[in-house]
Amino acid sequence: MSGRHKMRGQMSKTCWKSIAVGVICVASLSAHVAAQAGGELKFCLRMEPKTFDPLKVEDEASAAIRYLTGGVLVRVNRQTQELEPELAQSWNISKDGRQITFRLRSGISFSDGTPFAAEDVAYTVQQLMDPALHSATGDAFRSGTGNVESKVISPTQISITFPAPVAGLDRLFDQVAILSERSPKKETAVLGPFIVADYKPGATVLLKRNPNYWKTDGQGRKLPYLDSIRLDIQPNRDVEMLRFKRGELDLINSLDSEYFDKLAATSPQLVHDAGPSLDSEQLWFNEVAKAPIPRYKKNWFRSANFRRAISEAINREDLSRIVFHGHAQPALGPFSPANKFWFNSNLQPQTYSPDAALKALQTDGFRLENGVLKDKDRNEVVFSIVTNAGSKPRERMAVLIQDDLQKIGIHVNVVTLDFPSLIERMTQSFDYEAIILGLTNVDLDPNGEMNVWLSSSENHQWNPQQKVPETSWEAEIDRLMRAQAASTDPRRRKEAFDRVQEIVAEEQPFIFLINKNALSAVSTAVHGAAPVILSPQTFWNADRLTVAAK
Amino acid sequence: MRARIAGHALALVATVFLGGLFSATLVRLAPGFDVDEQQLDPHLNAESVQALRAARRQEHNIFQFYFSYMNRAAHGDLGTSLALGQPVRTLLRDRAPLTLRLLAVGLGLGWVAALTLALTAAWLRLSAYDLLTTLVSGTFLCIPAAVLALLSVLWNVPGSLAIALIVFPRIYRYARNLLAKSYSLPHIITARAKGLGEARILFWHVLPGVAPQLLAVAGVSVSMAVGAVIPVEALCGLAGVGQLAWQAALARDLPLLVNITILVTLVTLLANSGADVIGHMVRAQES
Repeated sequence: MSGRHKMRGQMSKTCWKSIAVGVICVASLSAHVAAQAGGELKFCLRMEPKTFDPLKVEDEASAAIRYLTGGVLVRVNRQTQELEPELAQSWNISKDGRQITFRLRSGISFSDGTPFAAEDVAYTVQQLMDPALHSATGDAFRSGTGNVESKVISPTQISITFPAPVAGLDRLFDQVAILSERSPKKETAVLGPFIVADYKPGATVLLKRNPNYWKTDGQGRKLPYLDSIRLDIQPNRDVEMLRFKRGELDLINSLDSEYFDKLAATSPQLVHDAGPSLDSEQLWFNEVAKAPIPRYKKNWFRSANFRRAISEAINREDLSRIVFHGHAQPALGPFSPANKFWFNSNLQPQTYSPDAALKALQTDGFRLENGVLKDKDRNEVVFSIVTNAGSKPRERMAVLIQDDLQKIGIHVNVVTLDFPSLIERMTQSFDYEAIILGLTNVDLDPNGEMNVWLSSSENHQWNPQQKVPETSWEAEIDRLMRAQAASTDPRRRKEAFDRVQEIVAEEQPFIFLINKNALSAVSTAVHGAAPVILSPQTFWNADRLTVAAK
Repeated sequence: MRARIAGHALALVATVFLGGLFSATLVRLAPGFDVDEQQLDPHLNAESVQALRAARRQEHNIFQFYFSYMNRAAHGDLGTSLALGQPVRTLLRDRAPLTLRLLAVGLGLGWVAALTLALTAAWLRLSAYDLLTTLVSGTFLCIPAAVLALLSVLWNVPGSLAIALIVFPRIYRYARNLLAKSYSLPHIITARAKGLGEARILFWHVLPGVAPQLLAVAGVSVSMAVGAVIPVEALCGLAGVGQLAWQAALARDLPLLVNITILVTLVTLLANSGADVIGHMVRAQES
């Protein structure tokens, strides 16, 4: 009896639970459907977009607008890092890596109703590869001299031939928004989920749903769900944070760790730490032969032993813990572990050991005298670290490094300069000793960093524009980078770039410090958001986001 | 009178052009003038980086720049912003209304607050009230413009209130001293003793006497407000000319900076000259 009663009680409990779950499901479903009825997503651009022409994009704000409005042939899924078909149903790359053939979807129109065809792709490529355009997107495709040829095979098929093999060719099309050849609206006719509806310089960019967007969801409903996106131009991060707290904004990308912790303390459900990002912070020494610094200092900076010792004397755990409140990981090399394919997992973390650093320096003739490190000619080891003013994390890192190096008798002066002055010293006058800056990796492919690693490049920061490589290891990096760029075999490319990462770890031309975590904040009103490490962190799936009425 | 106005106009034109030339020279001499942040983009090849540098080098010779600038300006072309890639004329046209509104409301509120407090202090002649108003104005005088701007962001109040609070203490102190001095003049004391109405004393005897000096302060207050508009707009995220000036300075945007300097000099000088001319007219009428 009692057993039956108990069972009835359990059944009754189960029944009530089922009803409750059912009610919750119905409620959440209706809320979701209500949210899908439209809505406006609001977030900030941190600078004025320089252009709405997708081929001329060079800044973060313009890139965000291109991502939201531009239709691309293929898209790197920001979550899986895999390449997915978009306007192109399928594609194949020739064995020599010079030609790519796309098979396009049919029945697609631009936002103004102009039909999309293979001629539009040919037109876009022709515009993009115009040498006078000086487009960063176009330059990524330039692997050799000569013209790029597009051949329209049919309205839905096109092949593009490059003068030399382009490594990672298909992935580069992720950045190429297709323009219409025939539309009178030119670059304002788009194939992406949103169109630029209004632009108030310095204030807002209003994007509205593209009525001709081709994608549908699993249930056959037209995407995007959102009616509009309001992008407020707001350079001041404090104001951005305040407005987010007041509920005036729905998202914050690339949140500072300080703000992250403040927000997490009051509203932990709003913040997201997606783990180590692709961005790195690094320190490097001036190795330029003509730099206006004393010869003995150049000798220190050009010694791999000296650079390795400095690297070993820096406590990266402290940098992560104190400067980034734990939202950063000690960096191992050019690519962070977040880059699933290209990261060399054999790299060992740099150990922190001031004693070992001092021993290594002693093999180069350095001596510690009364707490002051002197080189073999009895010059005191003193140098300055320059970083950009206004970047609190970099200023704090410089101060911590100053403290770390003091322990091995090295006196460091920390200097902050505004960015244009810093760039001038770095690229023109070479009047600096060491610099702390970051590298923002947008690309997963190492080809995106070709101009950093080639010794002849302008962006080979520690010693740019070398006519011939000045060291054997730089010559080896040049060879490996060119070899991986010329190969279409991912395995061989990976082997070559793994070796580059090993050489960089051995020679430390860049002393990689940390990889910041990808931090963001998303309002609870936003449904479907899944912040990731790749840019754009929070709105990479903007066409499937919904905003509930507040 | 005409000679005075002509003299003012001449001085104004000369100062505006000298101001522009001086600002262009300062920007040209500033470190980092001929570099572009974009050249650090690793995707750009050597030719593109060289093209970027060449574009910056066009403004290398300051005299050449100024000559071509004046030549273009004579045809209504104020050049193109290096950092924003948009015509300077469009940028100024789009952003000027917000700044003008901010200035007008800020100055209006600042003057109303300052005159109200100064007049009541002069009327009441209560030492406690005088101390209180002096304390209030002194407090605002001590707070930097940037802090007031940040507070306006924090408390979600309009940026014009920050402008008002920046100009208010400066106007108040001057107006209070002027009015107090005016109310202590023998003929005002006699008028009060004879029972003349306060409004009549104010409008017939006090204000006409202090009007030229107050007008001079009005001119200066415009300069103060224009100066305050830069931190207020930059910190409050208001898309006006002040924010543009801040961005232009950070980016070493020569075409934009020269035009903004000329515009600010023009507004300041016009306000001061206007106040000067009106003050002179008032004095002439009185005499």
